[in-house]
Amino acid sequence: MMEEVQADWQAEETPALVAIMNNHRDFEIARQEGWYRIPVKHTPRRLGAEYLAFYQTKAFGEEKWAVNYYAPVHRIHLAQRRDLLPQEADHPRAEDWYYRIEIGPLQRLPHPVPSRRLRRITFIPTTLARLLSADEINDLWLGSEEEERLWEAFKQNKIKVERRVPLREGDEAYLIDFAAYCRQGKVAILCGGAGPLGEGSGLREHPAADYELSTAGWSVLRFSPQQLENSLGDCLASIRQAIAQEGGLKASLDNANNRKEGEL
Amino acid sequence: MTIRLGFPVKVLGVTGLKSHDTRRWQNGPHLSVSLAYLRDVLDYLQRQEIHFYRFSSELAPYATHPDFPQFHNQIAECERELAAIGEMARANRVRLSVHPGQYVVLNAPEEELAERARKEVIHQARLLEAMGLGWEGVVLLHVGGVYGDHRAARERFVRQVERLPSEARRRLALENDDHRFSVDDCLWIHERADIPLVFDYLHFRCHNPEGMALSEAVSSCLATWPEGVPPKMHFSSPRTAMVVVEQQDAMSDQVRRRTRAPQPTQHADYLNPFVFTDFVRVAWNAGLEDFDVMLEAKAQDLALLRLREDIERFAPDVARGLV
Repeated sequence: MMEEVQADWQAEETPALVAIMNNHRDFEIARQEGWYRIPVKHTPRRLGAEYLAFYQTKAFGEEKWAVNYYAPVHRIHLAQRRDLLPQEADHPRAEDWYYRIEIGPLQRLPHPVPSRRLRRITFIPTTLARLLSADEINDLWLGSEEEERLWEAFKQNKIKVERRVPLREGDEAYLIDFAAYCRQGKVAILCGGAGPLGEGSGLREHPAADYELSTAGWSVLRFSPQQLENSLGDCLASIRQAIAQEGGLKASLDNANNRKEGEL
Repeated sequence: MTIRLGFPVKVLGVTGLKSHDTRRWQNGPHLSVSLAYLRDVLDYLQRQEIHFYRFSSELAPYATHPDFPQFHNQIAECERELAAIGEMARANRVRLSVHPGQYVVLNAPEEELAERARKEVIHQARLLEAMGLGWEGVVLLHVGGVYGDHRAARERFVRQVERLPSEARRRLALENDDHRFSVDDCLWIHERADIPLVFDYLHFRCHNPEGMALSEAVSSCLATWPEGVPPKMHFSSPRTAMVVVEQQDAMSDQVRRRTRAPQPTQHADYLNPFVFTDFVRVAWNAGLEDFDVMLEAKAQDLALLRLREDIERFAPDVARGLV
């Protein structure tokens, strides 16, 4: 029980993983039997966590398109699907391996953490502190120091951008640190270079060729950590100018009727 | 010539990547959760092309704690997950090792403490075994305390090693320390207990009462490793930065900052690339080619990545031998 759990953690450093919950059966398994499964072949880059939270999709009515629940992680074991769901022994993936994440009782977050734009959500590695305080999905991502600084500046200046937007080009997969969706185009904002999928910018520069981004319809802005630290105002001015050149930001897509399953 | 560079335990290069389940016993930490973290670390190592890593000695929390028998069966509970981690390490060509904390004192005169140390060594060896790792997966120890009689302390260490089961004994390695047991002491123990020696560069510089030459110390230690198992060494640079100590004044509640000089035995944040390249050349000149170097710096993996860059810039001939 959560009440029995001693508060010996520092919430900011307590890892949490947000996973997709897209059907009622799996939700009931999590709630009543206390486990959730992730296929080994689709395991996110970050699996280890002390808390598991669920982003609920369209299937969940009023709770859809938001993170509403979380639970402490007790164990993470490997198991085959046929052992996890013995009533589906003939399932085509019955022999596949999964991580069976055993969890404690589901707890409701102080307030839902919604996604406010049409985008694909998969797994989000975050911290318990962020989960408990986030206003929206974009607040959950863990970025480098400079990326966090820029995100705070966006929020303070009410510039609505999306974080960690995946872009697949050829054999390489990249994450765009911040994506501004404009009326006439898109602006990719990279903090020291786009990183390998799942980890943000990481340590090394992984310069997704600007040409490739451009051919995919992106205007690209890159900022070094030094620029973001020493002249954040100038960076923001450049971003505003690029957004203006693309016709200004699109309005948020809050019309739920237009949303697709698994997306917002 | 191949030198694998590694770093211990904590990853600093990406945000929030933990090394093991650090929860207190009341919150039910478990090896299976630690192994999920280790899986994430191995994934990170692959992306950074790092092939040598020391995992946390607390991977299985409370596994040998005498007061918590409920934690003692974790290895058996995680056989499948341990095998999967070993498979991942082998697939990514990562050497894994472990270095139990200073509280594991095999040569303690009190039998109770010595027995706890033996249990800890056996436990760590079982973890490596359950991962299916070869003999390059070692459990590294220091000799321990002197307890007023240096020679007796060395002899007691040898006797305790002899009491270990062969599987655990075979995974043991011994490191020279910075003020008690020198390379020469460790060689004395090696001759009697037949355990390989991990040469620690900074410890050697801090404690070498016999005046042994660097090349002799390095080659002697590397020669203790069995055929087919790459020798392992430690390298670190002494801290030279001023230490700032903050103290709260009890009367005024004000925080006062005081500075003091660092201890030469302290690790620096990063590594001196020039000393490192000289060290590697000493080993090469002594005819030693393939070995692994665990880098002990406060900046952890960041220090390793920086050292690689520095060596590529300042010593490209050495860089060609690094992995």
